[in-house]
Amino acid sequence: MEFHIDLGPQYEGESIRKEDFYVEFGGSAVKYKFERATLKSPEEVEHEKVEIIGSDIKDLEEGGSYPLAILIDVAGEELEPDMEPVIERRIHMYSNYVEGLWHMAQRNDIWLRLSKNSFKKGLNSLREVGEIYNFLFTSEIPQIEKIQTTFITDEKRIEELLPSALEVYEARDARARELKDEDVDEFYYCVLCQSFAPTHCCIVTPSRLANCGAMNWFDCKAAYKLDPEGPIAGFPKGECLDPLKGEFSGANKIVAEKSLGNYDRVYLHSAFEHPHTSCGCFQAICFYIPEVDAFGIIHRDYGGVTPAGLKFSTMAGDTSGGKQVEGSCGMALELLRSAKFFQADGGRKRLVWLPKEIKERYKEFLEADGVYDKIATEEDVSNTDELVEFLEKVGHPWIKGEVELPG
Amino acid sequence: MAEVKAITRKEEEVRQLIKAEIPWEPVGPTPMPEIPDLRSWDMRLLKTYKPWYAPFCDLCCLCTYGKCDLTENRRGACGLDIATQQARIILLACLMGCSAHAGHAGHILEFLIERHGPDKKIDMGTFIELEAPNIRTVTGLKPETLGDLKAVIEYVYKEITHLLDSTHMGQEGSYLDYESKALHASMLDHVGMEVADIAQIVGFNYPTSVAETPMIEMGWGAVDKSKPVILLVGHNPATSCTLIDYLRDNDLYDKVEVCGICCTALETTRYSDRAKIVGPLSRQLFFVRTGIADVILTDEQCIRTDIPIEASKAGSALIATLDKAMYGLEDATDWDTEEIVKQMVEDKKHFAILDPEKAAEVAAKVAIKIAPQKRKEWITEEEATELAKKCTNCDMCERVCPNLFSIGDGITEVAKGNFDLIKEQFNLCIGCGKCEEECPKQVPIFKIMQVAASKETWKIRAGRGPIMDTEIRNVGAPLTLGTIPGVIAFVGCSNYPDIEDVADMVDEFARRKYIIVLSGCAAMVAGMKKDADGKTVYEKYSPDFDAGGVVNVGSCVANSHISGAGIKIANIFASLPLRANYEVIADYILNRVGACGVAWGAMSQKAASIGTGCNRLGIPVILGPHSSKYRRLYLSRKEEDDWRVMDARKREIVDTGEPSPEHLAYVCETKEKAMVTIPKLCIRKNDTPQGRSIKLNHYISLYKKYMGGGLPEDLHLFVRRSADIPLVYKKEVMAHLKEIDWQPKEPVGLPTLIGTYPTKVPIDAVIH
Amino acid sequence: MSALIPFHRVNVLTGIKSARLIEDASEYADLIQKAKRPLLVLGPRLLEWALDGKLLIEYALEIAKAANIPICATAHVKGKLTELGVKPDSVYDAVEIVNALKDPDWKGVKRAGNHDLVIFFGIRSDLGEQSLSVLKHFAPHLKTMTLCKFYYPHANYSLPNFRKDEQWKAFLENLIDNLKKGE
Repeated sequence: MEFHIDLGPQYEGESIRKEDFYVEFGGSAVKYKFERATLKSPEEVEHEKVEIIGSDIKDLEEGGSYPLAILIDVAGEELEPDMEPVIERRIHMYSNYVEGLWHMAQRNDIWLRLSKNSFKKGLNSLREVGEIYNFLFTSEIPQIEKIQTTFITDEKRIEELLPSALEVYEARDARARELKDEDVDEFYYCVLCQSFAPTHCCIVTPSRLANCGAMNWFDCKAAYKLDPEGPIAGFPKGECLDPLKGEFSGANKIVAEKSLGNYDRVYLHSAFEHPHTSCGCFQAICFYIPEVDAFGIIHRDYGGVTPAGLKFSTMAGDTSGGKQVEGSCGMALELLRSAKFFQADGGRKRLVWLPKEIKERYKEFLEADGVYDKIATEEDVSNTDELVEFLEKVGHPWIKGEVELPG
Repeated sequence: MAEVKAITRKEEEVRQLIKAEIPWEPVGPTPMPEIPDLRSWDMRLLKTYKPWYAPFCDLCCLCTYGKCDLTENRRGACGLDIATQQARIILLACLMGCSAHAGHAGHILEFLIERHGPDKKIDMGTFIELEAPNIRTVTGLKPETLGDLKAVIEYVYKEITHLLDSTHMGQEGSYLDYESKALHASMLDHVGMEVADIAQIVGFNYPTSVAETPMIEMGWGAVDKSKPVILLVGHNPATSCTLIDYLRDNDLYDKVEVCGICCTALETTRYSDRAKIVGPLSRQLFFVRTGIADVILTDEQCIRTDIPIEASKAGSALIATLDKAMYGLEDATDWDTEEIVKQMVEDKKHFAILDPEKAAEVAAKVAIKIAPQKRKEWITEEEATELAKKCTNCDMCERVCPNLFSIGDGITEVAKGNFDLIKEQFNLCIGCGKCEEECPKQVPIFKIMQVAASKETWKIRAGRGPIMDTEIRNVGAPLTLGTIPGVIAFVGCSNYPDIEDVADMVDEFARRKYIIVLSGCAAMVAGMKKDADGKTVYEKYSPDFDAGGVVNVGSCVANSHISGAGIKIANIFASLPLRANYEVIADYILNRVGACGVAWGAMSQKAASIGTGCNRLGIPVILGPHSSKYRRLYLSRKEEDDWRVMDARKREIVDTGEPSPEHLAYVCETKEKAMVTIPKLCIRKNDTPQGRSIKLNHYISLYKKYMGGGLPEDLHLFVRRSADIPLVYKKEVMAHLKEIDWQPKEPVGLPTLIGTYPTKVPIDAVIH
Repeated sequence: MSALIPFHRVNVLTGIKSARLIEDASEYADLIQKAKRPLLVLGPRLLEWALDGKLLIEYALEIAKAANIPICATAHVKGKLTELGVKPDSVYDAVEIVNALKDPDWKGVKRAGNHDLVIFFGIRSDLGEQSLSVLKHFAPHLKTMTLCKFYYPHANYSLPNFRKDEQWKAFLENLIDNLKKGE
């Protein structure tokens, strides 16, 4: 396919300054904007059609900011509604693949800019953008049998459609929140990082996402469907051997095989006895602090040290390499949101130290557990002795013995 | 099959030298390896990356039985054939390179131990714990003090003697074994370089563990010629740092301008960010002939051997400060300072002064005295036009030009008052002066070129030394997942087809999110081009060792940090032990680290040993067209060669059929072709599907840009399964693969050569 | 075995065996036509040089067409060929093509057998001379020929250092005519 501009991952990350954009869509200056992917039946989709409702780019005034809705409708026998968010997130990636097109955020927060350079090169119509989307979607996902892209720049029309989009987003979030390990038969494993850590294998469940933070259970499901021979695959979870610690016969079987026999039992929700392994890509480490018999978390971007005086890089050396290390678990930061976050060990209620940045980011969840103001940060303490003092002073529930381990 | 051997006295001595009793890691199989110890690894490399010889000379002239004609399979009087003769010369070149750095290292180490004592601790900063990756891996020693480095450099000296021995008449008769020895010498070069740069960083307090080093001013325009100017030419910072100290201590630093050419400029600007960089080697003769320098201080390597004559012609004073190059000058090291100054100023004599402090004092005093007497103006365009009229277009200049262009055409244009052509040609000039020497009309070509020389000032980052351990850890995940498509190192001298080539390549690949590292003359020229916003690549991109980052590690000896980064990836990310474990680490880098060197303007023997040292470690290098004159490359024949590996997970040999990397030492004729070849040489067998698809994206995208569209002819060799195909080209590639009846193959998760050839290393060693 | 000095001094021969100098286009045409499997290796200088406004690449393509010689396009020459509607038989670089040619068992660009006459045109002369050296020493089973206006000592057959471009142009045009006649 020939387009006026070039395509490829080399254009991701190019930002377009205010002086350089021809037009802008969405963003904080604009009230009505959203993007949405919907699975429809084949009769409802006209393959490779691009429709524009409202003005096209060449009819808009240069330098202006405009409302926009992007609708991707797909049909295909092997597609499932759960894949809609995975497909929808691709709009961001594909847009950024376009030379001179920039896309930020998702859902009803989207913000796009088209550069003057690319407009000059001939990218002056949403039609071409739609053709690019159709081209890339069908290139990457052969399970899409029919695809239709619609752009709406008519503000009234967008305003009308927005509420139903918001409902869809909310329903997805609710489903993701509510779905638990108990509700599904299939878990996923990922061995993408084995070229660096040959014995490591991530187990991904609705309550436990991959250590790198890039894949949750839904992502893995979609990835497995789209690339059945890839590094991500589904497996039957098997018998639940220990619901609290998160031990499943299916998972044990998988890790025994994938770790070259190095270990054959894994607890998905505990840092002791048979903890989950890590390669080197994890976003954070949940670590045990023996002096207070509780846990802290340190993340990759944190430049300082733990109360014990250790840097992330030092601790990462022990945690990585595909070994089961008690009391030192690599994790994704989003794991903090999970209801089963190290539940066998006390979960969030056993956290006593966090970098301030993390504490603020997950404030809501920590408050819900009643521990937000009981957790020390690098601003409160600078060594273990001070940590002990702090926790006693604020009356941390774990220290006070008030936390009951479930089950 | 292996017998239990008693430890020999030699082995015991080695264990003592490397302090084997300190258990920071178990000692691997080859501590302080000698010529035969890594030979089986070399032979395995050479089996796939066969030596390709382009004899530079049909004869051998080394002994008095010669000259011997070696064409048509003739053997010399000693029995040597043409291939073995080329390999011998390559070994000699690599030995010269290795000795250059070992000599520099030994000298600077003595100098700094004299200053700080042998117990001065090696501290590379907060973010670097792995202080000496090459030394640890090759020797098995973890150096903690400057004194510890002595045992390392003495080991290198010893090996040089044995290697040089084998170049004597009537020694090695196998070109493969000469290559193995060249690989050995070159591995040792990286060790010597590391000794030098660690000593310098520690002894001179260079920046380390910091990415954002200061910006330095570079170019003719950066030099303030209203002040007395001292020019440093060479490589050894003992002279330059001492000079800066002297000027500071005597409150002269504001009053005297210090500038440098070649690596010494990169060293000096790590010590003081107020020093200026004139440019790389190719600008040496120009600048000397302008007479802008009042005093020239030389130390060693890559200096004009007739510099005393040129200095005299230009009215500059010259002091030779190192025994490697004394030019037949009187040795005034023990003379009275004032006497030397007097003779230099009044009698215009040049001297050798081997004491850096005395040299610094004399230089400063002489510069201050003679500067007011000199006229330092560039010639005007009118003057140039007049001088150019002498040219008769005889084209003798074109005949002797090593870069094969006609400066005579440019001069003819200048005679008409037109300066466009000569400005372009200045970028092609490598500064040898042969044109002017040959000109029958004595046209002062170099003088006329002053109007062509850009008076611009560019910004380049000061050399920052090693890559930090934290940076290595940070890029591990993106390198695996493929968001960083590879690491490209632009290194080497300034014998380019066009000086802007390197800047263009750096910009293209930094934009595409490769990690770019630079050193030496290449680091300088990369900064000698400004984009539409007036920025050099150092201003445009971040200085972090990360996607799209542009990192200047420093001078020639800082090349050890580039090989060091590969070693760090093996240790920090894959947890492989380093100690005396060279073979396993090289095997890891060859099979699993997507790195490629580009020595676009390689000219010297040092460049030969640096490149060959990278090769032994498993890093491929692309060279510019002049480098066909090195006489030897390491090429595979694509599908025809042996691409079997051991799958260390499954313990079985797999025939991957995938030439990755395809060559170890290659020549591209043009910058355009280099752009297409670089992404291909970053492909490795253990690429994840994402990683492979991003690498192929760049390969295909650049192919389309420079080869007129279509798909690379060898693309099918690099597609294992359809998940490897980049999204944007998926439909086109799938159609093409179908046409040629391509079959998918299983990717190998843990590829290694260990287990495919006879070696003492067990397969378990490649998995930690 | 003339001791002619090549135009670019860096290519001066240090040895005994040197290329036969040929100035007669019909002799060149004869050699080409007698070859069973000639190969034309084209370099990027052909994209830069022109004779009276006509790019050398066009001369090269006419020669290839007139004598039906397969083409190896080195460096980025293929880009220009695509523009001109020509598909080369190989895209090996100079160092790669000589690497293959020196293997007597190589099947050639057309898989019909290795080549017996390799004609080089438009590679920068230092790389060209070095590539010819590979074949001179290690490929006794074939002969090499050059079409640039410089004398190449390492070739088997070479043109002289043409002083004037007109002479070179006349040679090339004569060669093309001769090859066409012999079709």
